[in-house]
Amino acid sequence: MASQVTVFVENKPGRISKIARKLGDESINIRAITISDMGEYGLINIITNDPDKTAAVLSESGFSVSRKQVIAIVMEDRPGGLADISEYLHRNAINISNAYGFILEQGDKAVLILEVDDYARAEKLIRKGGFHTLTRDELHNL
Amino acid sequence: MDELYWNRAIETMPRSDLAILQLSRLNRTLERAARSRSYRGRLPESVRSLEHIRDIPFTTKQDLRDAFPDGFLSVPQDEIVRLHSSSGTTGQATVVYHTRNDIENWAELCARSMYMTGVRKTDVFQNMMGYGLFTGGLGLHYGSEKLGSLTIPASSGNSKRQIRLMKNFDTTVIHITPSYALHLYTILEGEGIDPKKHLHLRIAFLGAEPYSEETRRKIENLYGMDAFNSYGLSEMNGPGVAFECTEKEGMHLWEDSYILEVIDPETGELLDDGYEGELVLTTLHREGMPIIRYRTGDIATVYFGPCPCGRTHRRISRIKGRSDDMLIVKGVNIYPMQIEKVLMDIPEIGHNYLIEIDNVDYLDTIRIKVEVVQEIFHGDIRELEGLKRRVVEELKNEILIRPQVVLVEPNSLPGSEGKAVRVVDRRTRIG
Repeated sequence: MASQVTVFVENKPGRISKIARKLGDESINIRAITISDMGEYGLINIITNDPDKTAAVLSESGFSVSRKQVIAIVMEDRPGGLADISEYLHRNAINISNAYGFILEQGDKAVLILEVDDYARAEKLIRKGGFHTLTRDELHNL
Repeated sequence: MDELYWNRAIETMPRSDLAILQLSRLNRTLERAARSRSYRGRLPESVRSLEHIRDIPFTTKQDLRDAFPDGFLSVPQDEIVRLHSSSGTTGQATVVYHTRNDIENWAELCARSMYMTGVRKTDVFQNMMGYGLFTGGLGLHYGSEKLGSLTIPASSGNSKRQIRLMKNFDTTVIHITPSYALHLYTILEGEGIDPKKHLHLRIAFLGAEPYSEETRRKIENLYGMDAFNSYGLSEMNGPGVAFECTEKEGMHLWEDSYILEVIDPETGELLDDGYEGELVLTTLHREGMPIIRYRTGDIATVYFGPCPCGRTHRRISRIKGRSDDMLIVKGVNIYPMQIEKVLMDIPEIGHNYLIEIDNVDYLDTIRIKVEVVQEIFHGDIRELEGLKRRVVEELKNEILIRPQVVLVEPNSLPGSEGKAVRVVDRRTRIG
């Protein structure tokens, strides 16, 4: 199980740099970051090596923070890799509300992060489908 | 005192008799007031009929400020036993001085008001309003003691202690702000206490903040008690000027102690019952600091006709707003209190907002900034957008203008403590 930290930010200069600096100062390593931009505000989703500490640090800095369980799937970094997974989820009627990814250092594998509506069912299905999901520890030690 | 009335003779006095009482008390008041520096030479010695009161000039908040601290004092200072003072957040503070009789008469009005809602000497009254210079706490405290109820001067805040007091002493009556009543309920829930089952509350006085009928009913349902609305201002003592009876249809303004007039705030012209306007009040009982024709700034309507409860004192509506903070946006009159009332009904928002009015390309815009505090943030865009839509729709129903709602980060708006500035009008006046 992976944990994503979501931060509410106003759309004004310097918000991302402020967040990144706070995490950097606390030796937290950012694995992936995406922004859902709603115009006047946005939600920043962050995957780090230490989600508990990330949430605590940002909360102490005065941000509104939310935690969410997300699915982190390891996949081959090759054309069609994402298609395989999303087709499988589609066949099983799992709705993806957000998806993003990052490539692992070795370069041959990528991690796909999925926000889904029904986490428990999705997690089970994905495992049954033979995909490799990352645990919290695995994410930490990447 | 009988089963229904604290003072039957006064409360049900025929209006013609009430008018005679008012005239004699007004003339005594004029005589007293003329002894103060500020009124000296400005008042007639007496009036022959109540109608002639309209020949006397108004007294304004500014007059009270200019007279700081004691220009309106009508007795030697050694007759004074207490003073209350406004916070002075919006200008020079104003001071009101009370003699021993003034305190006694004020307590009498508060006792009468509380009795009217059903409070009896067997009740236990927990007063959760702030004590001190603010009149809300001490006013009902004295009223309750006068009435004979066991009075717990709990003052505001410290929820755990409030709950402990309610449990230990079987509190039946509370005096509380509506927002605190809602907050306290969440604490009670957290402790597994259902007020309907585990507490003995039956009456609440909600005050010190504007709130809607919806909020009243919600609080009544959550706690299983009757909640009453009241009206008071420190210049007229404080609480106990007007109070709801058990009909909950308007607040009886105690006309044996105050003369009530309603005027058009623009022209000063006197309005008949049923027309919305600014309340103008004259004290009829006060010795230390009588005030004649005081422009309260509060906008309300006087109801037509008698009340089924049998009291003859006229009723006023809820206060719609204050004449001095009325905004004209897109040609529509809006009182910030109307906006506040709507926002208070949306628990996610509470006190977390700022109203901004701008003029963009000659068009007025009204924008409500709402803080996305930790408690309401669940990382869900749909939820946030839903909240925005809800605020827009509910405000549009109340003020008839579609506002813009902007979500902002926590702690970016002025704090919710005390009298924070909640309206910013950035329009440049033309002409």
